[in-house]
Amino acid sequence: MAEETYPINLWVNEERLEKLQAAGLAGMCKEVLAGLKVLAVPNTAEQRDKILKLFTMAKFDTATTKSIELLPKFVKDKIFDLVVARKKIDVMDEFLSKFEQTGDAFWSQQIA
Amino acid sequence: MENIGHGGKEIVERILPKDAAIKRVNEMRAAKAKELDVRLQIATEVIDIAYGFFSPLEGFMTKADVDAVCDNMTLADGKTVWAIPIVFDMSDEDLKKSGIKQNDEVLLTYTSNPFAVFEVSDIFTLDKQDMAQKVYGTTDEKHPGVKRTYQYQDKFIGGKITLLNPPKINEPFTRFWLTPKQMRERFKEKGWEMIINHQTRNVPHTGHEWLMKGAYLGAYGSMMVDKPRGGILVNAIIGSKREGDYIDEAIILCQEAQGKHGYFRDDIFLTTCSLWDMRYAGPREAVFHACLRTNLGCTHHMFGRDHAGVGSYYDPYDAHRIFDKLPKGSLNITPIFNLDWWFCPVCDEVTYMGVCGHKDKKASFSGTMIRSIIQDGVKPPRRIFRPEVFDMIMECAEKYGFGDAFVTEDYLKRRNPVFTIEPLK
Repeated sequence: MAEETYPINLWVNEERLEKLQAAGLAGMCKEVLAGLKVLAVPNTAEQRDKILKLFTMAKFDTATTKSIELLPKFVKDKIFDLVVARKKIDVMDEFLSKFEQTGDAFWSQQIA
Repeated sequence: MENIGHGGKEIVERILPKDAAIKRVNEMRAAKAKELDVRLQIATEVIDIAYGFFSPLEGFMTKADVDAVCDNMTLADGKTVWAIPIVFDMSDEDLKKSGIKQNDEVLLTYTSNPFAVFEVSDIFTLDKQDMAQKVYGTTDEKHPGVKRTYQYQDKFIGGKITLLNPPKINEPFTRFWLTPKQMRERFKEKGWEMIINHQTRNVPHTGHEWLMKGAYLGAYGSMMVDKPRGGILVNAIIGSKREGDYIDEAIILCQEAQGKHGYFRDDIFLTTCSLWDMRYAGPREAVFHACLRTNLGCTHHMFGRDHAGVGSYYDPYDAHRIFDKLPKGSLNITPIFNLDWWFCPVCDEVTYMGVCGHKDKKASFSGTMIRSIIQDGVKPPRRIFRPEVFDMIMECAEKYGFGDAFVTEDYLKRRNPVFTIEPLK
C-alpha cells in the first residue's frame, strides 16, 4: 500500500504554469474542478503536524480535500519557488529546515 | 395577531420611541440609576432581543432558562424549544463595584452612549464546563463555542431589555439590515408565500448556488407558477470574526452579487444580514437558526452537511438528525436537508450526491478549498465560482479589507464597525 501523504495544494494559474513548464514539472499538475490545475506538494504526517504548528491559520481539511489548506500566500509562494528551483515536488524537508533556521527572514530570501 | 414568531408568540419590538427614551434616560440619571457600559458581544444581543430576532426572549436568560436550555433544549416553560443560552456575564468584582442587585433598573451604555434599560431579575452563577458539555457536546477549549463559554465572567445577570437608542447600521450593511418586522413586510411586498432561508457566513461558490436552487425547486412543489410565490432569503450571519474568515463586507456583497448578475431572478432572491456571533454548536446551532429564521418570517430553512459545525466535533449529519428529536409542532419552519453537491467531470456540471451516479469520479469542493484557491490569487473556473463574485471579492479586499479578502489582525483593528450607537438627542 502506498504511503499516505498530506499534500499542500498549490493552485496553478498561467504564470505558475509557465514556470512549471520551464522546470519540466507541468506534467505533475492534476486537473480538478472543471479544468482548474493543482500541484500537490506531498508531506509526511510529521511534516503536516509541524506545518500546522508553525502556521496556526492553516488547517488540515479532513472532510473534503484531505490536504493542508489556508496557508498564507507568501508561504505557498515560497514553497512554489522551491519546487521550481529544485525541479521536484518533494521539497518540504528543505522548506521546513530553512524556515526553522532563518525564521521570517526566509520570506525575503532568494532561493539559491 | 400578526407577525407570529417562534413559540407561537407575536414578535414584539422592545424599543422606546425617541422622545420617551430621552425622558427615560433623564429620569434614570436623576434617580442615580446604575450605569454599565457593555462590550460588543453583549450590545449585539441587546439589539437582537429588542427587535425580536430572539423572540420570545424579552431579555437575557435567568438561571431557570439557562438550566432548561442546557438540560432539555427548552426555555423554563418546558415547551418552547431553545438551543443556545443567551447570557449576560459580569465579573464578581465588577458586580460588587457596581452595586447592581436584583430588581434594579440598570442603564446600559455602549461606547459610552445611552443604549438600553436592563431590568435585573436574577443574578446567578453557572458551571461553565457543564454548560459547554451540554450545549456543545464537548469541554474541549479548542472548540470556539466552548472557548467563548470559558471566557464568560463568573456572574450572570438575567432580565428584560428595552432598547433606548437604535443602532446606526454602517455601510455597506445598511441596505441589508432588516428587522424581523421589516423582513415580513418585504416578503409581503414581494408576494412570497414560501420563504426558504439560506444560512451563510461565506462567500458563495456554485455549490452554495445549487444548494439554494435545489431547495427552491424542491420546496416550490405544486404552487402555481403564474407568478413567483416564493423566494430565497440569504440571511448572512455578521458577527465576531476569526483570522482567515472572509471579511463581512465580502460575504454580504458577494451574496448580493448572485442576484445582481442574474444567477437568481431578482424577484425570487433577497440578501439580508443578522447580527450573531456563531457558536459553531453544530446540531444545537441548527435548531437555533431555525428559531431565528422563524422570527424573520421564513417558512423553510436549508441545512447542509455539517451545518454550523467546526472541526470534527459533530457527525456531518447530526444537524439533520436533531430535528427528529424535537416534539412534533415545536417549530413553525420546515427543514430542508441537503446532501453534498459536487463537481462531476462526467456530467460536466455541479451536481447533487442524491442524483449523480459517478460518485467515484466526483470532485468535491468546499468553502475551505475555494478560499485556498482565492488566497493563491487564482481565478476559479466559472462553473465553480462565478466571475462576478470573484471580482466582488477583489473589490472588497481593496475597499474594505486593507488589501485582503480575509480577516487579518489589521482588519480587526481598523475596520469600520457594522453598527454604532450614537449620542441620544
